[in-house]
Amino acid sequence: MNDAELVQHVSNGNESAFRFLIAKHQRLVLHVVGRVVQQQADAEDVCQEVFMKVFRKIDRFRGDSKLSTWIATIAYNTSISYVRKQGRHRELSYDEEPLLVNLEKEQVFSHKTVEKEEAKKYLLQLIEKLPVNYRTVLTLYHLEEFSYKEIEEITGMPEGTVKSYLSRARKILKEKLEAVIETEKTNIFVDYA
Amino acid sequence: MHNEKEYNNPDNWLDEALKSEPGFHLSSDFAERVAKQAVRRFAWNQYFREFLIYLAAFLGIVVLSAGMSFIWLSANWKEWLQFVTDNFALVAGLNFLGVFILFADRVLLRYFFYKFSNQSVV
Repeated sequence: MNDAELVQHVSNGNESAFRFLIAKHQRLVLHVVGRVVQQQADAEDVCQEVFMKVFRKIDRFRGDSKLSTWIATIAYNTSISYVRKQGRHRELSYDEEPLLVNLEKEQVFSHKTVEKEEAKKYLLQLIEKLPVNYRTVLTLYHLEEFSYKEIEEITGMPEGTVKSYLSRARKILKEKLEAVIETEKTNIFVDYA
Repeated sequence: MHNEKEYNNPDNWLDEALKSEPGFHLSSDFAERVAKQAVRRFAWNQYFREFLIYLAAFLGIVVLSAGMSFIWLSANWKEWLQFVTDNFALVAGLNFLGVFILFADRVLLRYFFYKFSNQSVV
């Protein structure tokens, strides 16, 4: 079933079609919502709100973009409104610079040598510490594999800003990781001295 | 040696981390539950819209009939008003009953039949 047929069935109130649509896009919605809201307890409620909106507004989907892009737009806007309602306005500032707090490395790296899984865990924690616009753009580009144009459509950020956020976020994460690897290497020599 | 270098390359780790799922999850019956809720709401809205259409049509007929009575049958609106004010409780009660019967028939009963038929299927 293609997007147009699926939309047609859903707008006729077909429950199975809507269940299929949810199952197909719930991963995408969860990623967008989760990365913005950052609380498991709220993520499911916001996802539910997103799909209720999708169902209500499905008649307005004209097929100008992909269905997934349209749903991601709703997910992004709903999550941002949710964060705003929670009074977490500061997190939504586009001017916010990514000031990453230093995570407790001892908690992350239990061995003298940096293990791949531990580094991944550390990076995931760092991503969660980035400002919301960086997290969203990273998720949409790397995890969901949307194009710059599609990310612009979803978030309303200009394409140049999207590219800039991506490269800055990547640079920051890489620097942090390299610093930790370097520290760990030094620690080995200190331990043996 | 080459493999080890590849393995310890921060870029590779970064790529992998960026493609990793964030640790959020939905309940296993999420799609089922949300679809049911949305379609139930859709049914309610549909039935309610129909009720409003019926009500509007009925009121339209009443207004049209009253208008025709005033224009062609020269009805006295003061007498009508007097009748309504004298029997306000009766008129209001009958109107309320009529609207409630229409609402029950067009919305409540259909919605409950729909809901129970869905439950019995499950």
